[in-house]
Amino acid sequence: MKVSLHWLKRFVDFNLSATELADKLTMRGFESEVVTDFDSLDNLVVGEVLKAEKHPDADKLKLCSVSDGDETFSVVCGAPNVNTGQKIVFAKVGAVLPGDFKIGKAKIRGVESFGMICSERELGISEEHDGIMVLDDSLKAGTPIKDILGPLFNAIDIEVTPDKAFALSHRGIAREVATIVESKLKTPISMAKINPKSKEVISVELDKKGGCTRYIAGVMKGVKVGPSPKWLADYLKSVGQKSINNLVDISNFMLLEIGHPTHIFDLQKLDKPAIKVSWAKKNENFNALDEETYKLDADHMVITDTKNTIALAGIIGGMDSSVTDTTTEVLIESAYFDPVVIRKGSKKLNLLSEASRRFERGTDPNAASEAFNMIVQLMQEVAGGSLESVITDECSINLQNTTVHLSSEKLLKYAGQDISSKEVEQILKGLHIDAKKSKNGWTCSIPTFRTDLSVETDLIEEVFRCFGYENIKSSFNYSSVMQYANDEEASIFSLKHHLSSLGFHQSYNNSLEDLEEVKLFGKDAVSVLNPSSERMNTLRTTLHSGLLKNLDFNYKNGSPDTLIYEYGTIFEGKTDKLEDITQKSSLSCLVHGDVFAKNVHFDSISASFAFLKGVASNIFEDKRLGMKVKFSEEKHHYCDPYFAITDGKKQIVGGLGVISKSLLKDLDISHKHEVVVLDIDTKIFTDYKNYNTKVEDIIAYPVVSRDLNFKMDSSVKVGDVVKTMKSVNQSILQNVSPVDIYQSKKDKSSKDVLFSLSFQSSKKTLEDKDVNAIITEIINIVSKKFNAKLRDN
Amino acid sequence: MSLDKTIKGLETSFSKDLSSSKTPKELEEFRIKYLGRNGQLTSLFEEFNKLPAAEKPRYGKELNILKNKLTALYQKAIGANDNGSSSSDIDFSLPGYNLPDGNIHPLEQITSEIKSIFQSIGFSVAYGPEIDDDYHNFEALNVPKHHPARDMQDTFFINPNTVLRTHTSNVQIHLMENQDPPLRHICCGRVFRNEAVSYKSFCLFNQVEGLVINETSSFAEMKGTLEYFVQEMFGKDTKMRFRPSYFPFTEPSAEVDIWNSKLNQWMEILGCGMVNPNVLSNVGYDNEKYQGFAFGMGIERIAMIKYGIKDIRLFYQNDKRFLEQF
Repeated sequence: MKVSLHWLKRFVDFNLSATELADKLTMRGFESEVVTDFDSLDNLVVGEVLKAEKHPDADKLKLCSVSDGDETFSVVCGAPNVNTGQKIVFAKVGAVLPGDFKIGKAKIRGVESFGMICSERELGISEEHDGIMVLDDSLKAGTPIKDILGPLFNAIDIEVTPDKAFALSHRGIAREVATIVESKLKTPISMAKINPKSKEVISVELDKKGGCTRYIAGVMKGVKVGPSPKWLADYLKSVGQKSINNLVDISNFMLLEIGHPTHIFDLQKLDKPAIKVSWAKKNENFNALDEETYKLDADHMVITDTKNTIALAGIIGGMDSSVTDTTTEVLIESAYFDPVVIRKGSKKLNLLSEASRRFERGTDPNAASEAFNMIVQLMQEVAGGSLESVITDECSINLQNTTVHLSSEKLLKYAGQDISSKEVEQILKGLHIDAKKSKNGWTCSIPTFRTDLSVETDLIEEVFRCFGYENIKSSFNYSSVMQYANDEEASIFSLKHHLSSLGFHQSYNNSLEDLEEVKLFGKDAVSVLNPSSERMNTLRTTLHSGLLKNLDFNYKNGSPDTLIYEYGTIFEGKTDKLEDITQKSSLSCLVHGDVFAKNVHFDSISASFAFLKGVASNIFEDKRLGMKVKFSEEKHHYCDPYFAITDGKKQIVGGLGVISKSLLKDLDISHKHEVVVLDIDTKIFTDYKNYNTKVEDIIAYPVVSRDLNFKMDSSVKVGDVVKTMKSVNQSILQNVSPVDIYQSKKDKSSKDVLFSLSFQSSKKTLEDKDVNAIITEIINIVSKKFNAKLRDN
Repeated sequence: MSLDKTIKGLETSFSKDLSSSKTPKELEEFRIKYLGRNGQLTSLFEEFNKLPAAEKPRYGKELNILKNKLTALYQKAIGANDNGSSSSDIDFSLPGYNLPDGNIHPLEQITSEIKSIFQSIGFSVAYGPEIDDDYHNFEALNVPKHHPARDMQDTFFINPNTVLRTHTSNVQIHLMENQDPPLRHICCGRVFRNEAVSYKSFCLFNQVEGLVINETSSFAEMKGTLEYFVQEMFGKDTKMRFRPSYFPFTEPSAEVDIWNSKLNQWMEILGCGMVNPNVLSNVGYDNEKYQGFAFGMGIERIAMIKYGIKDIRLFYQNDKRFLEQF
C-alpha cells in the first residue's frame, strides 16, 4: 500500500524523512520501502522553458532552452506538451532519479543535451508518462524541487500483513507513527452531527442470516459533479491515483483516509430509494462497474433496491446504478460486511477490489458511521448538495470495546525477561488500549478498530513489537543439555556421498511434469487441479524422467558422458484421494557414455550396463547391510532388458535396466550409447539399525588358482556357467570369475571363455589331488550341461 | 620318463645360456630361443598335450612351475641389465588418471550444513508427506479455510481438500500428533508454491523448519538459537536483526534479516515466532502449560546468498557445468 507522508501529516506531526519513516515502520512490523524521497534527490530544480523549437533532425523531439535561474541549458525533450514559458522539473547533469537513473550529458540525434525535463513517472509520483510534469507558473526558477514536490509527494510503500486490517489507511498508519514519535493523533475532519433537511426515511432491510450486520444509508441532493479541487487531487496523486471526478474521488479518498469502504449510488437510477441486503440468485448476471458481467452464486451477498441488484456487497458496485457526470442525487452506503462472506464471494469470482481487501480482513464497525459522516461533510464542501434524508443505521453488531486479559506472568514466560509494568502500560496506551491493572496483570479494553486483538498472545505480540525485538535479550541454553539428535536419513546421506565418490552427480529435478510424458512411464499418476502450466500438471511417478532430461540437456551442451542420480519423492495414485496416493522416497541412477574417457594411460571405460551392475553390487553388498543380491530378469514397461534385484530373502531391493529404444525416441532424448538406470530402495538403508557383521578368521593357508578355458556356443550365458561351477563345491572353491572372452571374427557361433578358479581351505594347505577332483567334476558337468569343450591351455 | 629329463635339461641349458647373454641383443635372441612363441618352452607344452589324460595333472603342475621359474629368471636378468634405470623410462610428467568427479547437489550441501548445526544443539530431523490434507497444511496451523492468510501461499491442489504442501510445517503437526512434549526437531523437504517460474521463483523449493516445545522456551531463547545458527552458517561477524512480522501459526512472529555488505542492504533469510496457542490446542497439547517456538527457512534462498547464484532455476536444470562447481 502506497502511503504519502503529506497525507500522514493530516493525522500526526512528525519530522522524519521518507527513508527514516520506512526504517522505523519496518522495525514495527510494517515492511516498508521508499517510493519517492525528494529529500534525497539532488540537482533537481524548478526550470523555466525559455524556448522550445523543433529538433533540427527529428520530428518528434524538441530542442529547448531551460533556465535554472542562473544559467541556460540546451535540453532535448521528447514530450509533446513541452512549451515556451512553462515551469518544469529540471534534472540537471549529475541528478540521480528514482530507479538509479543517472542523468548525464547526452547527444541526441546529433544535438547535445544537458539534463532532462521530467515526467511524473520519472519522478516516481505516478504512472503518468505521456508528457512532462508542468508546475505552477508562480514558482521561481532554480528553487530546489525537494522544497516544492517533497512536501506533497514523498511516499513509501508498505506491505501490510493480512492480520493488520487496521493499517490499511493513512489514519491506521498514522496511529502507528504517533506511537513511534510519541505524538498525539489529530482529527482532520470533525465529527459534528449533521442535521438532515428532510424527514424522508430510506428503508434498509438486512438479511436475517447475517453477512451484513450494519448498514448506514442516506440521501444527498443538489450535488454537482465536476473536477476535484487541487488539494483532493493532489492527495490522490501522492499515492499514485488518478483524479476522476469529485464524487468518485471523495469515496476513494475516504477509503485511503480511514480505511472504510463506502459506496455512492445514483439515486435516480434506483427503482426506489430503499435498500435490501440479501443473497444473489444462482447464476444471476451482474454488470459491474469494471464493465465486466459476473455470474453470481447463491452465496454472493448483494445490495438491491428491493427490485434489482445494484451492488455486489463489499466487492464492487453495479454499472447501472453508478454515478455519472449528470448525477445530482446520490444514496450513500457505509456498511459492515462479514469477512468470510466477502472473502468467499471475491475468491469465487476471482475479483479483488480495494473494498473487498479491507472487508475480508475485518473493518471497524464504528468506522462505518465515521465514514458516512465524513463523506457527507466532504460532499457538501466539494460537490455541494445537502443531506435530504434521515440517516438510517441498521445495526446488530457490537460497537463496544472488547476485553482481553494480559497476565504479567505469561508475558514474562514468553519474553524470557522482565518488561517493566510501566513500559507495558505506556505501550498499550500508545496503541489506544485502555489497560487497567489487575491482580496478576492487566484488563485491556480493545478498541473496535483493532479487529486483530482477541486473545492474550495478540497483546503479547503488541508489547514485544513496540518494546522492540532488538531489546529482548537473547539466551542460549544448549551447552548443558545435550540430547541424542536422530536423523533417519543419515544413512541415505552416506549413500549419496558414496555415489558421488564413484563419480556420480547428484541432481534435483522438478516434481511436476507433463502428464503426456508421465503417461509414457506407465504408472497411475497424480495430477494437480490448478497447474500453473500444462508442462507441469502431474507429479512424477519415477525419477527416471528427470534423469533422462538431464542426460538430454547435458548431451546437447557438449557433455554426453553422464553419471547422475537423484533422491526424491515419487507419487502414484489410483484416484486423487489422499488415502489412495502413495508417496515414496526413491533413489535412481542413470549412466550413459564413458566413466573414463580414452586417455594416455588406457582406453576408455564405458558407463555400461556392466558398470552400473557393478555399482549396484557395490552398494547393496555394503558390509553393514550384510546382503547378497541376485539379478533376475523381468518384464518392464520401458526397460529392455530389466533385472529385479533381490536380497537373500527374495525381497526386491532394487532394479537395473536398459531404457528401451522406443522410450528414448518418444521422449526425444539425445544419446549415442545404451542408457542404463538403477533403482535403489532406500528403505533398506533406513531400516538397518545395527552393524551386525561378524568378523571371520583370516585363513592362513595359501590360495590355489586354476584356469579353465572352455569353448561354447555363443548363446550360452557366462553367468549361468559360473553359477554351475560354483554349485559343484561350496567348501574349498572360493571363487569363479570369467576373465576373458574370445570370439573369432570369422566364426561368431562360438566363443572361448577363460575362467579363473580359486581354491582355499580353512583347515589345511590344499594339495593337487584335492583340487583336481573338483576340477574334473567341473569339466564334466560344464561340458555336458552347456555342450562346452575344454580348450588346451 | 623322458619328459622329466627334458625338463631338467631345459632348465640347465636355460641357466647357462642366460648367464652368457649380456647385451640387449643377446638377451632378445635368448628370449626367442626359450620363451618365444616357437621357443623350447612352448614345444615342451606341446609334448605335454600329447600325454595321456591321467598323467596330465602331474606334469601340468610341473610345467607351470617351470614356466614361472624361467620367466622370473629372465625378468631378473633383464632387470639387472637395465641397471635400475627402468624408472627413467616412465614419463612422470604425464597427467594422473582423470578420476570421475562426482558431487553432492548444492541444495543438499546447504541442507546438510543446516542439519549439522541444529543437530549439534540436539535437534532431531523429521520428514513427512509432500501431499497432505488441508487440515495438516493449513487448518491445524491456524489458517482457516476463508482466511486472507491463505493468499500468502499460492497453493497447488490435488483435490479440494488435498494439497501439495506449501511448507514443511505439516510435519510439525504430524510430529505433535504422535508424541508429547518436549520436542526439539527440524523438518526438511520439498514444498510447493503455485507461482510463475522466473529467475527468482520456482514452483517448488526446499525448506528447513524447526520446532521447540516445552514448558519454558521463550522468545529470548528463540533469538539465542537463531543467532547461533546464523553465526555458524554465515560467520561469527554476521550482522542480523529480528523484525516483527506475521504468520498465522506463530505469535509473536518475526523475520530475520542478515546484512549484505556487498549489496549494502538487509536480506531476509528466515521467519520465526512463538508457536500460536491455537496450534498447540489443535494437536491436543495443554497450551497453558506448554509453549515454544518455530522457525523456517528456504534452502534455495540461503544457497543463492551463500554462493552468489542469481537464477533459482539453475538448481533444477542439473547442468554439469553448474553442478561441477560444488
